[in-house]
Amino acid sequence: MAIVKAKEPKKHKKQTLGMKIMTIVLSVISVFYVAPVFFVLMNSFKSNAGISRGVFELPNAETFQGFQSYITGMFFGDFPFWQTILCSFFITVFGVALILVCTSMCAWYLMRSNSIICKIIYYFCIFSMVVPFQMVMFTLAKTADTLKLTNPVGILVVYLGFGAGLAVFMFSGFVKSIPIEIEEAANVDGAGPLRTFFGIVLPIMKPTFISVGILETMWIWNDYLLPYLILDKTYYKTIPIHIQYLNGSYGHTDTSAIMALIVLSIVPIIIFYFACQKYIIEGVVAGAVKG
Amino acid sequence: MFKKRNRLFFLIFVLPTFAAFIIGFIYPFFSGIYLSFCKFRTVSNAQFIGIDNYIKAFQNEGFLQSFWFTCVFVVLSVVLINLIAFAVAYILTLGIRGSNVFRTVFFMPNLIGGIILGYIWQQIFNGILQKYSTNLALNETYGFWGLIILMCWQQAGYMMIIYIAGFQSVPHDLYEAARIDGASKSQILTKVTIPMMAPSITICTFLTLTNSFKLFDQNLALTNGLPGVVGAGGTTIYKTEMIALNIYKTFYANQNSRGIGQAEAVIFFVIVVVIALAQLYFTRKREVQQ
Amino acid sequence: MKSTTLKRLAALGLAGLMTAGALAGCSDNSAAPDSDAAKTGDASKGSVYYLNFKPEQDKAWKALAKKYTKETGIDVKVETAAEGTYESTLTAAMDKDDAPTLFQVNGPVGLANWKDYCMDLSDSDVLKQLTNDEFALKDGDATYGIAYVIETYGIIYNKTILQKYFDSDFASVKSIEELNNFDQLKKVADEIQENKDALGVKGAFTSAGMDSSSDWRFKTHLANMPIYYEYKEDGISSTDAIKGTYLDNYKKIWDLYITDSTCAKTDLASKTGTDAETEFIDGDAVFFQNGTWEYGALTKGGLKDKDLGMLPIYIGVEGEEDQGLCTGSENYWCVNNEASDDDKAATLDFINWCVTSDTGTAALADDMGFVIPFKKAKEATNKLVKCDAEMVDAGKTPVTWNFTTMPSEDWKNGVGTALTQYAAGKGDWDAVVKAFVDGWATEYAKANG
Repeated sequence: MAIVKAKEPKKHKKQTLGMKIMTIVLSVISVFYVAPVFFVLMNSFKSNAGISRGVFELPNAETFQGFQSYITGMFFGDFPFWQTILCSFFITVFGVALILVCTSMCAWYLMRSNSIICKIIYYFCIFSMVVPFQMVMFTLAKTADTLKLTNPVGILVVYLGFGAGLAVFMFSGFVKSIPIEIEEAANVDGAGPLRTFFGIVLPIMKPTFISVGILETMWIWNDYLLPYLILDKTYYKTIPIHIQYLNGSYGHTDTSAIMALIVLSIVPIIIFYFACQKYIIEGVVAGAVKG
Repeated sequence: MFKKRNRLFFLIFVLPTFAAFIIGFIYPFFSGIYLSFCKFRTVSNAQFIGIDNYIKAFQNEGFLQSFWFTCVFVVLSVVLINLIAFAVAYILTLGIRGSNVFRTVFFMPNLIGGIILGYIWQQIFNGILQKYSTNLALNETYGFWGLIILMCWQQAGYMMIIYIAGFQSVPHDLYEAARIDGASKSQILTKVTIPMMAPSITICTFLTLTNSFKLFDQNLALTNGLPGVVGAGGTTIYKTEMIALNIYKTFYANQNSRGIGQAEAVIFFVIVVVIALAQLYFTRKREVQQ
Repeated sequence: MKSTTLKRLAALGLAGLMTAGALAGCSDNSAAPDSDAAKTGDASKGSVYYLNFKPEQDKAWKALAKKYTKETGIDVKVETAAEGTYESTLTAAMDKDDAPTLFQVNGPVGLANWKDYCMDLSDSDVLKQLTNDEFALKDGDATYGIAYVIETYGIIYNKTILQKYFDSDFASVKSIEELNNFDQLKKVADEIQENKDALGVKGAFTSAGMDSSSDWRFKTHLANMPIYYEYKEDGISSTDAIKGTYLDNYKKIWDLYITDSTCAKTDLASKTGTDAETEFIDGDAVFFQNGTWEYGALTKGGLKDKDLGMLPIYIGVEGEEDQGLCTGSENYWCVNNEASDDDKAATLDFINWCVTSDTGTAALADDMGFVIPFKKAKEATNKLVKCDAEMVDAGKTPVTWNFTTMPSEDWKNGVGTALTQYAAGKGDWDAVVKAFVDGWATEYAKANG
């Protein structure tokens, strides 16, 4: 199984002409890659009239309005954006934490037990990975509502349930590769399952924890339809819901404010990305190879 | 490790996940299948009516249109994304200057959600199209290519990462051996690298396949199905609507069409399962060969 | 012979009586428990959940809800659906256990969809407050909805600029009184468009934006005109198949809007409601099709009462010199029949308070700019409402709101898309006609099938 080495061996090969050309070509493409982000940043400082006049024009004295859109979008209105960010943060952080703890325990048990029930649960988990969300969309929303899971705490349960498939699958794949002798040795030493799991298995699983954590974070943070259908939107909105709500012509479309809020919602992601780039890329590879 | 009678630890280890799994998946899934055979507004007033919904789903022009649109989109996006990702990954593993920076930049769009990406690109495309006096909502060709560009921009980086890992896992001695045997560069690529990359290619193909097939957020935010064209009988058919969005709209636009929407969702599910089984088949075959 | 006839008659009569009795029994069974239940419900234990239709008034409703909670301690939650998504939002919300207790339907078509969820309001206090029975939405003997706002739309014009035009030498129409049919309107618009630089405007009409924040002005409100005249001609108030008699007139006015406009026809697809509003406020255009609800935004933008006037929408129908503005309601309050008795009682108390208390009526009139059809209504300060009153006083016949009989949201979207394509030159007018006429029959069958 392939895992990207954290740091590729830094031997600077001699750069041939072809390689130099490639560097230049890729640099140009890179500029196009980051351009949309600057496009949003630039427009967030312009007034609505300025955006309407031309989206590619740089802000000038007439159209520049500084941080006004940020301030109005962030703190004013019926649903200030800081509440949305808080809500998104809460759901993502606790949702991922819950998934990691519960599914890793579950996967370990499922792999170490031979009962039929465990086999059935395991195969259901794998099966759930292929089911498109539209299939359960309506009934899931209805179930969540009946059980009063329409708040940021309740939705964690839904995320645990719907996200269990991939997580259990990935953890199981790793547990299979842990030699059972280690655990048996611990068992002989008198450690119960709980101590064995938290003392021995969990530390070994650290790389998988990171992989699963990254994949689930990317999913939950950006998820739109599930929270849209489940959350009580009078009180709670996540970032994608908020943006779509504004875009969906809520009375009047304030393009400038939308741009500002997009900038605000991208900033945490970029910081997160630069802080954990190595893990993110490893996580993606590990997830892909197993999924 | 665990004996069958060990109930307590089953409760501690498995039950939380299992209970959530029933709420979040098992129950909604089975009641969803049941409801596809019913006429209903809410779950409580469902009436069993047999396969009527399925017949209506296959007669639904909008659904069929979205199905073909999705198929064309999937084929093109899978080919393009993989070609681009493979090529970039190949170049980046040659050891050119700035490889790490490029890798970082190309992967970045994956972290931004579909709704936000869709909105950003809508503004960009409309800004460009405005100069030519047109708009995404006016011509399905623009909407189609817009979606393709958006998906390439977002997904190529992800696949690139997987391809890079694939390239790095090819043992160096193989290249050495080929070189000693006098193989040319293109021969090494086609006879050594690509066969050794087969696992990565399979993975990436299926990842892009399922991602494109299930696409929803980007579709909603970028075109929302527009433009619409008046079809036979005066019903408006939305030209850039993909299956997932069509099902969603069928479901929530009209209370009377819920059963049809659920039936369409089941059809959609079956298609996705067929794709997944195909993947399983290819993976197995590959493992046997090795 | 005679006796058999008698017997038959008697039997018939008996059967008739029995049927009537059974019917009465039925209606008793269905209606009575509900209203009783609402009366037995304890409002102080209930709460109100209002799914509001009007995004423009979202803030004002939330503020009013807060005041009510402060005054009575009863919780009132207000949620507003984004423009054009009320039906789907309501559908999703009604699936929930905590469903809205107060929602609205747009008229008979909406009621047909939601009747199962509507409580009979016949015995409610708020119904007695209505100034006119025609504002109650009835089905048989039962009243399921109560109109809470009467609105008017037409072509809002900038008085100052229009006067400048009347005073100029290129004007062939010299006063507002002469501007009383489509030909005159076209003459004025064309001349303004030709001399836009002299008048300092960018076009006669604001951009007829077809973005979803603005397309309802044309796919719904403007489309009311041909429907109104067809219904009037045929003497009907709704139909399962529209003939499209006046669609040529619809084309005429639409052509005028998109030709004498502030922007190129091809730009309309992405123009928003905010764009049009900004153009009008900035004095870039003279005409702006919109309604009384727009008053708040216009005055906030800096326009004064003396700048504002409203014209009827002329589409070139004979005798339209006497046509007035379009006045009606597409906003009928309904109380959720499936809510608990306590919540029903609380909801009824809340709406009654809204239309009777000083705080409530003041908020509706001043903050929301509504004209409400209730006895204790406070007079609106809205200049555009006054325009309507003047028209009625002058003997003009108001155009009724027949767009409430449009078969579905999908129908409106279909017409809207076709209009967009036509405006951009990508589609022909036939597509609009097809979506209008054929689409009506199809959608009607779907919604009622």
